[in-house]
Amino acid sequence: MNHAYGNAPMGVIDPPSVVLPEQEHFAQRAQRLHDLSERIEPLRDFLAFMAQLSQAQQQALERNTPAWLPEPDAFVLALEHGMPPLGTQALCRDIDFHSELTALLDGLDLHVGEAQRPLLDTLRKLPKEEIDRLAQEVLKARPGPEASRGLMPLIAAALQVAWLRLARTLPQPPKRPTAEARSICPCCGSLPVASVIQIDSRRSGVRYLQCGLCATQWYLERSKCSVCDQSGKLDYLSLEDETGEHLLPTQAETCGDCHSYLKIMPREFDAYAEPLADDLASLALDLLLAEEKQYRRSGFNPLLIVGE
Amino acid sequence: MTLKVTRRQFFKLGAVGMATSSMAMMGFAPEPALASIRQFKLTGAKITRSNCTYCSVGCGVLLYSRGDGAINSIDSIYHVEGDPDHPVSRGSLCPKGAGLLDYIQSESRLKYPQVREPGTDEWKRISWDDALTRIARHMKDDRDANFVDQDAEGNTVNHWTTTGMLAASASTNETAYLTQKIVRSLGMVVLDNQARV
Repeated sequence: MNHAYGNAPMGVIDPPSVVLPEQEHFAQRAQRLHDLSERIEPLRDFLAFMAQLSQAQQQALERNTPAWLPEPDAFVLALEHGMPPLGTQALCRDIDFHSELTALLDGLDLHVGEAQRPLLDTLRKLPKEEIDRLAQEVLKARPGPEASRGLMPLIAAALQVAWLRLARTLPQPPKRPTAEARSICPCCGSLPVASVIQIDSRRSGVRYLQCGLCATQWYLERSKCSVCDQSGKLDYLSLEDETGEHLLPTQAETCGDCHSYLKIMPREFDAYAEPLADDLASLALDLLLAEEKQYRRSGFNPLLIVGE
Repeated sequence: MTLKVTRRQFFKLGAVGMATSSMAMMGFAPEPALASIRQFKLTGAKITRSNCTYCSVGCGVLLYSRGDGAINSIDSIYHVEGDPDHPVSRGSLCPKGAGLLDYIQSESRLKYPQVREPGTDEWKRISWDDALTRIARHMKDDRDANFVDQDAEGNTVNHWTTTGMLAASASTNETAYLTQKIVRSLGMVVLDNQARV
């Protein structure tokens, strides 16, 4: 309804239950990582590199043409029956992330520092089978062999490009996952990296989990544990410096029932917060929580892989 | 807790894990990040789902409370917002609901029964037992004095019209049913539920 003071919504505003990633997602993440690298001094070089990596991901997404793309109607059945259309294990043999990786390495080439150059050289020389093996480790959210762990985020970045590209081709977003799969990405079946509370008018205050692989966002009720569904013993912990200032908008949603936590980024505090970028930047929160030894981290960030 | 926990993986992002993390393997020293945590402390907040009690719509609200810094301690409510997951209100609140925080924190908020005796201008705090006993006494006296079993034409009516009851707004159907049953069983005919304040 229109009146002198503005517009009132005509009916119930139903927030979308699943939101596919935008074409500009990597560019936005790169910008965010760049901003964070200037704010978080102890992680400056790391975040700046990740910003370059995200920028290279955007370039690869725009310029690369993968050798394999699914038929236009390939996912109709999966969408109809509520299966993740881009399941990682179903697609990992077909999907052409190798060409994405090559494009990514070419894009990074001019920007990479001396310490990281050997990574690129090693990856270029690595046999395809070895890259496939490491890709499997990433897709299964495993830590991989220690010696090659430094290569895994770059391979993960290529996988992210490949899967985000496919997510962009879906004719419509998948349905909201059913109860027992609420914390698994409805697009590709991967784990969420963190959750975000949105601020745009269609979904103001609504919480979404974001996939660590394809960046799809899906709805989950506020104030509820994404691991065990309980809501009774949740706390929202954040980092405060001696002046009482918060380091970042990021909080850890800790659950006293299953003793796990997932980070949550209320964009009300910072409109540009991006789950994956802000997760990396708030590493200090993980480290402090690890010291407390009360909660285990459930969020999976393929750009920061830790051993067992 | 359900089986989901066993299916979900957990990641060890601690000081030990950082030494063999991909970050360290990529040539970024984790030590500055590890050292930086000394300048921070963890502060906790809690979010509790509740309902606005102002009116019969019963909009969903999220109440934010903060402790004194210790994990799990609840001190005071510092923020109230609409619950975007509530099926009726979907995160919106009317101006009264949006001002709930001031209502919760209000200095003049009624927190216990009080009585102002006839002829005085002073409110006196009394216990719940006293309050309920006094109300029951007043009701019984009034009912004994004014209960009507037959009207002027000799019809049996069994009603009590000199006392009425106003019940609360955000009640469930079940509460409303019980209220009706209890009040009607006394013969009371003046009964209403407030729809809003």
